[in-house]
Amino acid sequence: MKRGAFHRSLTLFWWVVMAFLYLPLAVIVFYSFNSANSSAYFAGFSLRWYDKLIHNDQLLDALGNTLVLGITSSLLALVIGTLIGYGMYRHRARKLGWLIVLIYLPIVMPDIVFGISEMAFFISIDRQFGILGPSLLTMIIAHVTFQIPFVALIVYSRFVGLDPTLFEAAKDLYASPFQRARFFLLPTLKPSLIAAFFLSFTLSVDDFVISFFNAGPENATLPIYIWGAIRRGVSPEINAIATLMIGAVLIAAILSLLFNRQKQH
Amino acid sequence: MTVPPSAEPDAAGTQRVRDASAIALRNLHKRFGRDAVALDGVDLDIHAGEFFTLLGPSGCGKTTLLRILAGLEAPNEGTLTIGGKDVTTTPPHLRSVNTVFQSYALFPHLSVHDNIAFGLRMKGVAAAERERRVQEIADFIKLGALMERRVNQLSGGQRQRVALARALVCEPDVLLLDEPLSALDAGLRNQLQVELQRTQKRLGMTFVFVTHDQEEAMVMSDRIAVLDGGVIQQVGPPQTVYEHPVNAFVARFMGHVNLFEIGSVNGDRVTTALGQLRLEQPLAEHERHGMLLIRQEVIELGPEVPEGYNALQGVVRERLYRGSRVEYRLEVDGVVLLATASNLGQRLHAVGDRVTVSICPEDIVRLDA
Repeated sequence: MKRGAFHRSLTLFWWVVMAFLYLPLAVIVFYSFNSANSSAYFAGFSLRWYDKLIHNDQLLDALGNTLVLGITSSLLALVIGTLIGYGMYRHRARKLGWLIVLIYLPIVMPDIVFGISEMAFFISIDRQFGILGPSLLTMIIAHVTFQIPFVALIVYSRFVGLDPTLFEAAKDLYASPFQRARFFLLPTLKPSLIAAFFLSFTLSVDDFVISFFNAGPENATLPIYIWGAIRRGVSPEINAIATLMIGAVLIAAILSLLFNRQKQH
Repeated sequence: MTVPPSAEPDAAGTQRVRDASAIALRNLHKRFGRDAVALDGVDLDIHAGEFFTLLGPSGCGKTTLLRILAGLEAPNEGTLTIGGKDVTTTPPHLRSVNTVFQSYALFPHLSVHDNIAFGLRMKGVAAAERERRVQEIADFIKLGALMERRVNQLSGGQRQRVALARALVCEPDVLLLDEPLSALDAGLRNQLQVELQRTQKRLGMTFVFVTHDQEEAMVMSDRIAVLDGGVIQQVGPPQTVYEHPVNAFVARFMGHVNLFEIGSVNGDRVTTALGQLRLEQPLAEHERHGMLLIRQEVIELGPEVPEGYNALQGVVRERLYRGSRVEYRLEVDGVVLLATASNLGQRLHAVGDRVTVSICPEDIVRLDA
């Protein structure tokens, strides 16, 4: 009897948490299909905000920037992070204590600290040498920096989960160092690499703070554009953008999860 | 015995003389870190086409020795030659040696077929030839139905077969086996012991097998090397190592328990804790120390003492009935003596019975402590 009540209240709690997490998103998605000019009331189903959206050049530029930034930085982070993850695995017997902390620090570092210090760093280099002024390049560098630890972590944990004798078996079966990379390491890592790419991409698309501090005037990403737009009032158009972004991030996150799960077997 | 190096280093190994598989180890030393000694001066010759077993407890250096043969570990000192070629510093992928690992180490991202083909692919064997050889070995090891399976869909015994096939298909000069049966249950293990031994005989390939199980070693091997503390204690055919162990360690490791220190010696009479025993012949001057071994199965229990046998009086303290044989724990002069009798339907002795113990002088073996 008592137990039943306890379980019911747990279930209720679960739904409260879910509502807390997802209701705001649902509201945004809902009003993105609203035909009215305001989100104060629902006037009927319409795709007019989506239509407006695809004719908004500024927004399309921002979308383009986001994609270029996300894909480029993720690919770069993938290469560097994989090398770091492999190195961490190869030398796991040594005490790498501080090195590991330094690699993982960006994960827990507040974005604002990260963003501002990168900005200060780039500006001082720009003053000295006239390179690395705020641009897409500085944004890519900044993003790669915070994506690397995630990639390294995923790759490292994949290696740690492997039977260490597999590396020896590859040597024993006549594979040269290059062949070991090509026919053993890469195929074994593939699901993890795909998962790491989608995770990095999601992080990049999601990022506002670090992008904001390192962007040049031409390089507004979607989050930056939205932030600017909201200062002029919440237009239902923002709802439509947000809905599209939710969809994209959801798909990337699901793909990342699927590939990460596939590697388990 | 060893053949001069044939033409050039043949990692590709299309043609090979079986004699290229004779192995010579000279003064091998291996240390891990500063003071962990794994091998302490190993000299060993393994003949071409031999089933050779490295036997010893864990930490005796047998696995290190195997890894040096494979090239996965480099000795600190000493040389290793295979087929007359010095391969001490040759990396593993350039050695015509393959290993069946204890964990099998099958590639999880590849099918059974691709696992088996891996070595040939890395060596650059042409696709048609590769296919033919993979098929051949699959038929030989009877893997037909499993070829397209993923590794994680296989049972332990099947994995073991695939690991064997993957190594054999490369036709190495030497095949190394690192306790490949230890993860399997007893029945399957016995079956695979026989299969492995047959395979080796049919192929005439040199097998170097590592195990800590002395029965497994005796069943399968042409010769056994018993290791302890990084040193080879004894090398010989199973029967020699079992019946004439050179020292107490080998004797105990081979399963013997009745070891008695040699006390005073008077010609062919030796005093031990059991009492005075007569040997087949007097001990030479340099043999008058160490121990005497009386194997459990040579001890006879019965009222009559055969002519010329040592006779002792004992009491049965424990009886273990094992079906085909019966083990008695006897007490002789306050000393424990174990005796095993074949179960031939004779009347069994009961706990508490007084028995006469007869030991043939020929069956008493002297060995070093």
